[in-house]
Amino acid sequence: MTWLIALSVLTLVVQRVLGMPGLPSWSPEILLPAVWIVAPPLLHRERHWPYHALLLGLGWDLLMEPVVGPGGISWTAAALAVAALAGLVAHRSTWAWAGFGAAAVLVVVTVRGIAYLPLGLTTAPSLAHVVRSAVLTALWCGLVGWLIALDLPTRWQRYKARRLH
Amino acid sequence: MTTSRATLRRTLLLWIMLELVAALQVRSPAGGVLLVSWLRAVAIPLERTAQYLGNLAIDLGLGAHNLQRVIADNRKMRLELEILRARELLLGEDLAALREARGLAGPGFGLEAGSVVARCTYRDLSAGTMEVRTAEPLTVPRDTPAVTADGLVGRVVRSERRRHWLQLVTNAAAAVAVQTEDGRVRALAMGAGTEELRVAYVPRQAQLVRGTQLYTSGADGVYPPGIPAVTVVRVRESEAAFLEVGAVPTARLGVTRVVLLLPAWSPVDSGDSK
Repeated sequence: MTWLIALSVLTLVVQRVLGMPGLPSWSPEILLPAVWIVAPPLLHRERHWPYHALLLGLGWDLLMEPVVGPGGISWTAAALAVAALAGLVAHRSTWAWAGFGAAAVLVVVTVRGIAYLPLGLTTAPSLAHVVRSAVLTALWCGLVGWLIALDLPTRWQRYKARRLH
Repeated sequence: MTTSRATLRRTLLLWIMLELVAALQVRSPAGGVLLVSWLRAVAIPLERTAQYLGNLAIDLGLGAHNLQRVIADNRKMRLELEILRARELLLGEDLAALREARGLAGPGFGLEAGSVVARCTYRDLSAGTMEVRTAEPLTVPRDTPAVTADGLVGRVVRSERRRHWLQLVTNAAAAVAVQTEDGRVRALAMGAGTEELRVAYVPRQAQLVRGTQLYTSGADGVYPPGIPAVTVVRVRESEAAFLEVGAVPTARLGVTRVVLLLPAWSPVDSGDSK
């Protein structure tokens, strides 16, 4: 559990780093934490995923947003949406990871826009930005899904076992 | 993975709380905290509504109070109106009585020094009695004649302070000595307990026709002579020695309001009849 929290914090920090000057302009459009709301339903893990998503969103707000709150809303909404989608889609392949990641991005962006609307801080993202963000995040989630499917620790242990023989 | 309704509800509440937290951090265009302006936007209509409801309640209370007062005033005014109507009726009655009394002062049997004016307060024509009241308590002698401007009413049978009871000429026990205006025919008008009196002892050769008026003759020692007593309404010949004559009182006993009592009259003073 602790390493999960540490990895989550690390994800957020990296996300912050992706927005630093000097890096490509599209780099902050990858929503790295999306993988934390896509993974639980796809890995059949029973977790308190809405509350984890809430904490994730609040952390997002603290690091990336002008106000704290809308991130929590948008990320929990994304978690709920992905969980609902996982109940409908049987696939658990890499493509499913990518698709769920794209869906999470769409929900996060949409709900965040709605949550910002009453605050007078709305900055309607362009369609290109949303598409780019969805695609990049889908690639990121797909990559994570592919890595999990590879099961590298098992392969590593098998490799070590062969070397010992 | 199933999503329970409780979790969804809690999540929704969390979203609302987070939105409020976010609004707490944002400044409104006016410069204040956005959450405060939201609260104000919610509170002002509530305050206005509460104020409106308060005013409505006050107005309703005042309206109910005023309505109660109006109803009470209306009731009071109705009562006063009824009193005024009653007074008007009494005044009308008094006026009519005064007119009748003025008629009593006319020629023939005008007000004399000893005459007493009395108001009729009760009458029972079928019983042939009438109750009259005088303004002052006084004792009126029994058999004192009572007249109106139209004619004879009857005689006093009982007197008690201001109340005096009369026996009407229509009473079954009443009898009045009458005669024609020229005095050629003399008779006795006797009450029968009805509106009509029987005029007895009229000779067959008497010239009486319907409408002939008969006056008191004074021969009975009770009534002064010359007062219009009855009007003949029916004359019939029969096998008997006298005519069958019916008459009605000249005085309108049913509507008379004022009578004149003549306690000062005595048969001795009057001398011969008219």
